[in-house]
Amino acid sequence: MTLAELRPGQKGRILQIGALGPLKRRLMDMGIVIGEEIVVEKVAPLGDPIEVRIKSYNLSLRKKEAHEIQVEAV
Amino acid sequence: MNPGVRSQNTEVRNERMKAEVKSRKSESGIQDTEDSGTKKAKETTTIAVAGNPNAGKSTLINAIAGARMQVGNWPGVTVEKKTAFFEHVGQRIKLVDLPGTYSLSPYTQEEIITRDYLVHEKPDVIVNVVDATNLERNLYLTLQMMELEIPMVLALNIYDEAEAKGYRFDLKALSSMLGVAVVPTTATKGEGLKALLTAALAAAEDPAAHVPKPVAYGDDIERAADAVVGGLGSELPDVLRQYPPRWLALKLMEADHTVLTRLGMPADSPIITSATGHLRTAHGEDMEALLADARYAQATGLAREVLKKPDVRKREITEKIDAVVLNRFFGIPIFLAAMWLMFKLTFDVSKPFADWLGAMISGPFKRAAEALVAILQAPAWIASLISDGIIAGVGAVLVFVPVIFAMMFFITFLEGSGYMARAAFVMDRAMHAIGLHGKSFIPMLLGFGCNVPAIYATRTLENPKDKALTALLIPLTSCGARLPVYVVFIGTFFASQAATVLWSLYVMGIALAICVGMVFKRTLFRGEAPMFIMELPPYRMPTFRSLMIHTWEKGKHFLIKAGTYILAVSIIVWFLLNMPWGVENKKDSYMGQVGQVIAPALKPLGFGSWEAGSALIAGLVAKEIVVGTMGEIYVKKEEEGEKEEAPPLREELAGIVTSFGTAVKEAGANVISTVGIATMSSDETEEKKAERMPLREELQKQFTPLSAYAFITFVLLYMPCAVVAIAMRQEFGTWKWYGIAFAYQMVLAWTVAFIIYQGGTLLGLGG
Repeated sequence: MTLAELRPGQKGRILQIGALGPLKRRLMDMGIVIGEEIVVEKVAPLGDPIEVRIKSYNLSLRKKEAHEIQVEAV
Repeated sequence: MNPGVRSQNTEVRNERMKAEVKSRKSESGIQDTEDSGTKKAKETTTIAVAGNPNAGKSTLINAIAGARMQVGNWPGVTVEKKTAFFEHVGQRIKLVDLPGTYSLSPYTQEEIITRDYLVHEKPDVIVNVVDATNLERNLYLTLQMMELEIPMVLALNIYDEAEAKGYRFDLKALSSMLGVAVVPTTATKGEGLKALLTAALAAAEDPAAHVPKPVAYGDDIERAADAVVGGLGSELPDVLRQYPPRWLALKLMEADHTVLTRLGMPADSPIITSATGHLRTAHGEDMEALLADARYAQATGLAREVLKKPDVRKREITEKIDAVVLNRFFGIPIFLAAMWLMFKLTFDVSKPFADWLGAMISGPFKRAAEALVAILQAPAWIASLISDGIIAGVGAVLVFVPVIFAMMFFITFLEGSGYMARAAFVMDRAMHAIGLHGKSFIPMLLGFGCNVPAIYATRTLENPKDKALTALLIPLTSCGARLPVYVVFIGTFFASQAATVLWSLYVMGIALAICVGMVFKRTLFRGEAPMFIMELPPYRMPTFRSLMIHTWEKGKHFLIKAGTYILAVSIIVWFLLNMPWGVENKKDSYMGQVGQVIAPALKPLGFGSWEAGSALIAGLVAKEIVVGTMGEIYVKKEEEGEKEEAPPLREELAGIVTSFGTAVKEAGANVISTVGIATMSSDETEEKKAERMPLREELQKQFTPLSAYAFITFVLLYMPCAVVAIAMRQEFGTWKWYGIAFAYQMVLAWTVAFIIYQGGTLLGLGG
């Protein structure tokens, strides 16, 4: 499953980042690296983007971007 | 991987690298044009300050350098460059503020600027500002900067907050693992800053001892990097003297396109492929991801060793606020309320001051200048140039100053407090639909007050694409200066449905902004939408000092840079209206002549007269001028008896002071009474109405209701005013975007007015 499918409050472990090039680099630069745990905190009032917690800070990203991140629920 | 344990190999490499750094440094003396000579004899120490966004870097710099910062741009881009010169313990320091970045990838302007500066300008020391509450992610950037082998000092900032959270740091261990001095700082309280500067100077004094220890990224990667360095040594020995060898090798392995281009090397050069062969078989093709992973592994390891966090994480104040502010049901109403408040405060607080400045310029100041001209017995055209051209121009500049100051103050507050990121989070879905970013909402909203601060507010958007599209759509938001035009026409032709007609114009502007946004998204800005990925930093109270410094910098910048342009435009318009000197009929002035030339083009829109054409051209200065010019052209002014006696000097000065007092009181009152948006009220005072009576009668002869509506639509949509042009030029460093805005808006205005007038005529509304 992808990060976009996790519901608020659910935790996942990152398995793979599907994106390529700048998007992948940017995601990794922000700490979205394989093996890391990630928690979905909130979904924006209009349904997109989402807020996640990773490496003890909060990050927001669009669902389209979250879609590139493969996770397993933990 | 434990960063503390290093193989013999790495130690050896450390020694070798230090020796190399020394030799490179001495060779680079020739390149340092600014401060040549050897280290010891050097007069100014250059300190580059770098760090993550939201790490408190700008608060730290403001606390150290304050108003001594000089603001400029990095060459070729519009990213701000701040530098300051000052002395600390007798040593002259040049402080350079590098853009806030999360990484040193080659993908964003800010990152490229930062690394180019570090690689090519070789500052004496880097002060790396690190957010102590977010150590791991911040160390990721630290590791990348360490690769550049420049002496470094770590400012462990926001230290008070980290301690309050119960974080315990082993500063000694951090310092010895990285091989750099670590100074805990709390920039908001000014704590640790002196020690930081002293440590930075000490590092600059003895660079060899303060070059960070390279943290090894694992044997596989290091071996490959060594192989690349070896390959470069035999094929391109010169580049190894220009760049730190290990950094260069890592960048080549990552296939960093800017480095490859600079070296003129293909990504599949045998130097790289032969060295990375075993890595590719073991870890896959994506070397960039492999290195990012390796760096994060080290950052994680370091953070684990030097930082003890309490076992139970307290629910933080930020989470409590966000539970309300980002709530599914309350999020949007709260956001809209906050925006409404900001809009009100920006325009209502600044308006009395703008009015006061305007009154001062057109009153006492103008009278004094006229008196002076009379004493000097200057010719009439000079008198007119001074009072109607130059002084009017100065007035046009000054009236913008209060609103620019107010806007910068609130924008800085929103950004510094952390709410800007929430605003973007809440609005992104809606704004993204028309190709914009969540943060675009605020500049667009400010546009309804005045497009000029709105254009400046686009600087909150990091991505150039988002920023440009937002700036292109801002002129479609109907600003306060267009209102006087609507009011006169609506009062004359649509008095019975004034509110409906007025709102139709605002709604039309918004609807067209949406349509144009969609079109631009598919044409001019085709391709992958910029990323959104954005940190939601904890809420923090920005320091008053920082707020003031940012606001002052912007206001000053506007006054100096935009001021000169606006003055020039005012003088040109004066020239067009009054030359050839002594024209009896405005029709014969240059402006009238231009009006006559363009009139045929306006004929299909229902207002093909030279008067309308001239008034529209004069609107280039500011759209409200359209009304003033029409008044001047249509209504023969009674020049005689209009001149009022200037009051005695004492009264004049007293008037200036009391009226300023009134402005302060009014601004205060406006903050308290937040009812009815002053800048958008469609009511005209009785006085104004009487004043405009002759113009209205004349307009009724010249326009039909249908052509009047086509005209105000045209005023809504046609070219943005000159001040917007200058703001766009300043923000983007090129006239390109104003050119595009000018062109599309002219076409749009003409087309829409054409449809309204011709369509209306066909429907029989022309009468």
